[in-house]
Amino acid sequence: MTDHLVIEVSRLTKRFGDVTAVRDLSFTVEPGVVTGFLGPNGAGKTTTMRMVTGLVSPTSGTATIGGLPYGRLARPSRTVGAVFDANAFHPGHTARDHLRVYAAMGGYPDSRVTELLDMLGLAEAADRRTRGFSSGMRQRLNLATALLGDPRVLLLDEPGNGLDPEGMSWLRGLLRQLADQGRTVLISSHVLSEIQQLVEDVVVIRRGELVAAGPWSRLAGPPAVLITSPDAETLAASLTAGPADGGPVPRVEAVGPDRLRVHGLDAPSIADLAAVRRLRIHELVTENTSLEQLFLQLTTDKAATR
Amino acid sequence: MTLLIKAEFRRLLATRMWGGLLLAAALLGGLMIGAMALVGPENFDPPMPGLDTETGLRSILGILGYTAFVPAAAGTVAVTSEYRNRTAAVTFMFAPRRGRVLAAKLATYAVVGLAYGLVLAGTAAVALFTVAAARGVSLGLPAATVLALLARIAVAMVVYLLIGVGMGALIRNQVAALCVVIGYLYLGEPVLMMIPGVNTLYPILPGGATAALTDFTYLADAVSEQLGSDAVQLLPPAAGALLLTAYALTAAAIAVIVPMRRDIT
Repeated sequence: MTDHLVIEVSRLTKRFGDVTAVRDLSFTVEPGVVTGFLGPNGAGKTTTMRMVTGLVSPTSGTATIGGLPYGRLARPSRTVGAVFDANAFHPGHTARDHLRVYAAMGGYPDSRVTELLDMLGLAEAADRRTRGFSSGMRQRLNLATALLGDPRVLLLDEPGNGLDPEGMSWLRGLLRQLADQGRTVLISSHVLSEIQQLVEDVVVIRRGELVAAGPWSRLAGPPAVLITSPDAETLAASLTAGPADGGPVPRVEAVGPDRLRVHGLDAPSIADLAAVRRLRIHELVTENTSLEQLFLQLTTDKAATR
Repeated sequence: MTLLIKAEFRRLLATRMWGGLLLAAALLGGLMIGAMALVGPENFDPPMPGLDTETGLRSILGILGYTAFVPAAAGTVAVTSEYRNRTAAVTFMFAPRRGRVLAAKLATYAVVGLAYGLVLAGTAAVALFTVAAARGVSLGLPAATVLALLARIAVAMVVYLLIGVGMGALIRNQVAALCVVIGYLYLGEPVLMMIPGVNTLYPILPGGATAALTDFTYLADAVSEQLGSDAVQLLPPAAGALLLTAYALTAAAIAVIVPMRRDIT
């Protein structure tokens, strides 16, 4: 459990005929955290992940895992586990049959199959044919397949599709645990709420191009503070006058009668300032940028063309 | 490679397909040949030479050879189901050297084809000898020759199964691939045989090569007689065998090379 593998995508381009699905895309995915791979539908997320796993060959550029392209990995299923299709099983196979096929392919013993069936809560369904599986069971079986080789890198394409809230919460727990063990976890999604609590880093793409990449907290910037005050105007004037010690001036936005949004100053400082000026404050709320807001900001046309 | 073959056997044996396939072999070999021998080709409509003649016996065996579209279809289903069920992506992630995956499939299905051929030929032999003895008909060929012809048919089944694997790897869409394989082997070749000019190609098509293997000229002769065209001259059995091997190798090469760089989307 010591080798920490970085996914490195470098100037990756893929054209399907006239359509450029991915254009000159570069980013890295670090081990030990869950990285969200975000973008609207059709942004090129799946194509990129398929290029990382060697299923699709790039028109130009490279994608490496721990420095090696997928096809050169000595035992790929020991290094990388990936889930693409929610339903990638022979309908006549049982869960155990399916896992045993890939256990044979990767050279893993049958005991590993049983272990994974237990770990993913599939023990009871192990000997049922997959055609009768619910989407939650399918997703568990997909994960079990990906985890057969105990891989250091995990790639999941839209894993939330078809999962109910309980299933999603279970998945979040599992992925966080895997990342905490030092694994590299990349998870793509267009439903941001479902991975908001999970990801630390994000890579955002739009129309096949990189829009932003980095720790979410940095991209989101410091939180804003929403104030409700009958003395809003006076308070705004005091805030924009700047602090006595000559520090940075907060930016103040009027968002309605008696309401202000303040960027660049935290709630305690605002409350202290109001107390000194004897101004009334009825409500003071720290607003974290949601992934959704950030995503919309980043993927609107204005953001993409700046 | 051993691991990949082991995986392919597990993949196959976990489905109901292999049982169905062997059952089909027993039905076609035992039941169909048994029924035809019981009725007697001389009572067919139109009548054919009886079992006590060489032509009659070869015809019955030739019809057995004509069922080769069954193992071919099985090979096609085996490969295309990976695309249909979307397991191809998983398989190629576990084994990125795709040629080796397909080579393992070919090796696995060669064994399956052999099992199919042996069941087909074995049940056919039992049915043929039992019915002939029961009806008191002495067969038009010595028993050893009949067995040798059946053995050739068994080997031809391996070839057809591999052709099916190759076509499946090439076409990928299950329905389309099955239409092509069954349509061509079951309908296409007999139709080609009837088209003047094109029918001179028949001896070098898979069907013609299989017919050459058992020296089954009755169908070709009947067609040319019907059309008043020159009789189609089949290749000698050895040349037919070589040609079938060439088809199997071509199919195998297609299966191994074609998926190499294709995108799995």
